[in-house]
Amino acid sequence: MIRLIGLTKVYRGFTAVDRIDLHIPKGRVFGFLGPNGAGKTTTISMMAGILKPTRGRIELNGIDLAENPSEAKIRVGYIPDRPFIYEKLTGMEFLRFMGGLYRLNNGVPGDERALELLELFGLTDWRDELIESYSHGMKQRLVMCSALLHRPETLIVDEPMVGLDPKAARIVKNLFREEAASGTTVFMSTHSLEVAQEVCDEIAIIQDGRIIARGTPTELKARSGVDGSLEAVFLKLTQERMSIHERSRTPA
Amino acid sequence: MRDLALLLSPRVKGALNGIRLSESRARKRTWILGLLGIAFWFALFLLSARVLRYFQSVELVGDILAYHLLSMVLLTFFSLLVFSHVITSLSNLYLSKDLELCHATPASLEELFLSRVFYTIVDSSWMVIVFGLPVMMAYAYVYAPGPGFYFTLAHTGLATVLIAGGIGVLLTMILVNIFPAHRTRDILMLLVILLVVGLYMLFRFLRPERLVDPDAFFSAVQYMGALKAPDSPYLPTRWVAEVLWHHLGGGPAVGYGFHLALLWSTAAALLVIDVWAAGGIYFNGFSRAREGKRRRPGGGLFLNLLGRLFARPLGPDLRAVVDKDIRTFFRDNSQWSQLILLGALVVVYLYNFSVLPLERSPIRLEFLQNQIAFLNLGLAGFVLSAISVRFIFPAVSAEGRAFWIIRSSPLTIRRFLWGKFIVYLIPMLVLGEILIVFTNRLLQVTPFMMGLLAVSMFFSVFGIVAMGVALGAMYPKFRYENIAQVSTGFGGVVYMMISSLFMAVVILLEAAPVYVIFTAGVRGVAVTTLQYMWIVPVFFLVLVFQAAAVIVPMRLGIRALGEGE
Repeated sequence: MIRLIGLTKVYRGFTAVDRIDLHIPKGRVFGFLGPNGAGKTTTISMMAGILKPTRGRIELNGIDLAENPSEAKIRVGYIPDRPFIYEKLTGMEFLRFMGGLYRLNNGVPGDERALELLELFGLTDWRDELIESYSHGMKQRLVMCSALLHRPETLIVDEPMVGLDPKAARIVKNLFREEAASGTTVFMSTHSLEVAQEVCDEIAIIQDGRIIARGTPTELKARSGVDGSLEAVFLKLTQERMSIHERSRTPA
Repeated sequence: MRDLALLLSPRVKGALNGIRLSESRARKRTWILGLLGIAFWFALFLLSARVLRYFQSVELVGDILAYHLLSMVLLTFFSLLVFSHVITSLSNLYLSKDLELCHATPASLEELFLSRVFYTIVDSSWMVIVFGLPVMMAYAYVYAPGPGFYFTLAHTGLATVLIAGGIGVLLTMILVNIFPAHRTRDILMLLVILLVVGLYMLFRFLRPERLVDPDAFFSAVQYMGALKAPDSPYLPTRWVAEVLWHHLGGGPAVGYGFHLALLWSTAAALLVIDVWAAGGIYFNGFSRAREGKRRRPGGGLFLNLLGRLFARPLGPDLRAVVDKDIRTFFRDNSQWSQLILLGALVVVYLYNFSVLPLERSPIRLEFLQNQIAFLNLGLAGFVLSAISVRFIFPAVSAEGRAFWIIRSSPLTIRRFLWGKFIVYLIPMLVLGEILIVFTNRLLQVTPFMMGLLAVSMFFSVFGIVAMGVALGAMYPKFRYENIAQVSTGFGGVVYMMISSLFMAVVILLEAAPVYVIFTAGVRGVAVTTLQYMWIVPVFFLVLVFQAAAVIVPMRLGIRALGEGE
C-alpha cells in the first residue's frame, strides 16, 4: 500500500512536485505517466528515500517513511531508471550484498532465491563474472533481481523497460502482474503507453509537478473524450493542460 | 583544420561556462584553492632560493651542485611529464565517454587525434609547469640572468613538454595495440607506482644531504663520484640544462645553437611520427578498447577471509557493506597498488630517524631525543592525515553513482558512516602505533615518553579517522572517473588543514605538562602536588578535545550526507 499526502519538492525556488495526493491499495499495478521533466523521477526518488520532500508525507505499507525509514524501506524494492551498481563485484556477490543490506536471513542469505531470480532473468551463466563486463540491459536485469530478492511488499520502479530486449521486457511485464496478484503493490513510471495500457490497473498523469488525471485506462479514455489509444488520451490531456498554462501566462 | 577547431571547442567552451555559470559557493572554493596554490608556490620558491643560496656559499663546488640540481629537477619533471602523458593519453585517446560520438562524426581521424593530443598535453603539463616554475624562478632570483633566460625558459619548456607528450602518446598507442586499454591503464598504474617507490627509496638511501658536506666523504674523488647525476648527452633535459645554464652565467656558449636545434627538431619529429603512427594504429587500438570481455575476478579465497575477519563483528547490513568495500578495493588495481606506496613511505620514515645526526647537536642528547620524539607525534599525525585523505576521505564518494543503493536501503546514514569509521580505525591505529613506537625505539626515548606518545597517538587516530570519514561525507563527489581525484578536491584540502590543526592543538596542549614531567624525571626530582593540580586537568582536556574531534565531525557528516541530494 502506498499513500502520498501533499507531497511537494522545491529545488531552489522551482517546484518540481506540487502537492501530490495518492492512495494506491495493495496488489495494484500503478502507472505514473508524464512528459519529460514532469516530476516523475523526483516523486519516485522521494518514495525510495533518496530525496527528502520539502513538504508532505509518504507512507509505505502503513509505515511513515520520514519517521521510520529503515522499517519502511525494508519492505520496498526499488529499481532506478539507470543501473549504476558496483562494477567490481560479480553478479552473485552483488545479490549477496543486497541480501545483507536488507537483512535477509539475518544477513546470511541462502543463495536459492538469488539463483532462482538469476535464472528467471537469464543471468545464470554470468553470475560469477564482474559486473563491469555486463551490458546495460544485463545490469538492469540484475538490479531487478536485487529488488525482488527480499520479496518486497511494494515495488517502486522508474522506467522499467529502458535497455531491455523484447524477451526481458515480456518477463518483466508478466512478473509485475504476478507480483500484484500475490499482493505486492507496484508503482512504476513509464514513457511507454503501450506498457502502461498492458500492465497497469490504474494510471496517473503528472505534468508540471501536479497530477492532471487519474483512473483506469478506460476511465481516462472516457474522461478525455478520445476514442482511441492511450497515446491519444495522453497527448490530449497534456496538450490541454499546456494550453491552459500558456493562456494563463498571456496578458489580457 | 576547421574540424580541429570544432573538436577543441567543447573543452574550451566548457571551461569558460564553468567559470561564467559557476555558483558563488564554487567560486569561493576556486578562490580558496587558488590562494592555497599561491601560498604553496611561494613556499616552494623560498625553499628553492634558500637551497641555491646555500649552495652558492659552499666554496668550489657550489655552482656544480646548483647545475646538478637543475639537471636533476629537469630530469624528474621530464620523467613525470612522460608518465603523466601516458596515463592521460589513455583517457583522452581511448577511454573518454565522448570519444564514441566524435568517432562517429565525419571529422578526419588525424584532426580528432590531434585534438586529443592537445587535451593530453594541457591535462598533463599544467601541474608540472606550475610546480616547476617556482624552482626556475628561484634560479633566476639567485643568479639574476638577463631577459634572454626567461624567453629561453618559455620556449625550451614548450619543446620539452612536446617531446614528453610525443613519447607518452606514442608509448600509449603501442601499448594499447598490445594489451586492451583497460588492462593497460592498470598495468601502467602499477609500473608507475613501483617506479616512483624505487626512485624514492633509492634517492633516500643515497642520503643526498651528505653532498653539501664534503667532509663526510673519505676523498675528493669519492665526493666527485657521488655528485654525478644520472645524466646523458642523449637526454632532452641535458640539452635544456646546458642552454639554461649558459643564461644563468655558468656555462660557455659552446653548443648553444646545437642543443636548441636538437631540442626543437626532436619535438617536431616526434609530432610528425605520432601523427604518422596514429594513421596506422590509433583507430585499431580504439576499436579494441571497445571490445567487451567477460571478466572473472581473482583472489576469492583471500577476499573471503579478509571480509570475514573485518566484517564478522558487525551486523548483517554493515557486514555486507564492509565485505563489498574490501572486494572493490582489492579488485581495483589503482587502489590496492597504492598500499605499496604506503609501505615505502613508512620504511623511509623510519629510516630517516635511524640516520638522524643527533650526536653533532650542541643540545644534550637526552633532551634532544625526547624533544624530537614529541614533535614526531605531529609529524606522524600529518603522515596519517595524508594517508587518510587518500584512503578514508574518499570512502563515502567511493560508493559512486551506486550510492542510491545505500540511500534506498534500510541501512541508516548514521550506521553507514560509523561502520566506515570502525573499519578504517583498526588499520590506522596499527599504523599510527608503528610510526610512534618504532621511531621512539630508534630515538631511545624514556619509558614515560614512550607511554605518553603511544597513548596520545592512539586517541588522536580516532579524531583523524572520524574527520576523514565525516568530511568525506560533507564533501562527497559521486561522479568521478578516478577515485584519486576525490582526495585532491576542495574537501580534501579542508580535511588536511583541519586534521593538521587538530594535531597541532594536541601537541600544544601537551607540551607544558610533558616538559614539567620530563625535566623532573631527568633531574631526579618529584613532580609537586601543585604541578599535578594543573597537569591532570590539561591531560583530561586533551582527552575531551580528542573525543570532540570524533563526535562533532561525525554528527556534522551524518547530517550533511543525510540531507544531501
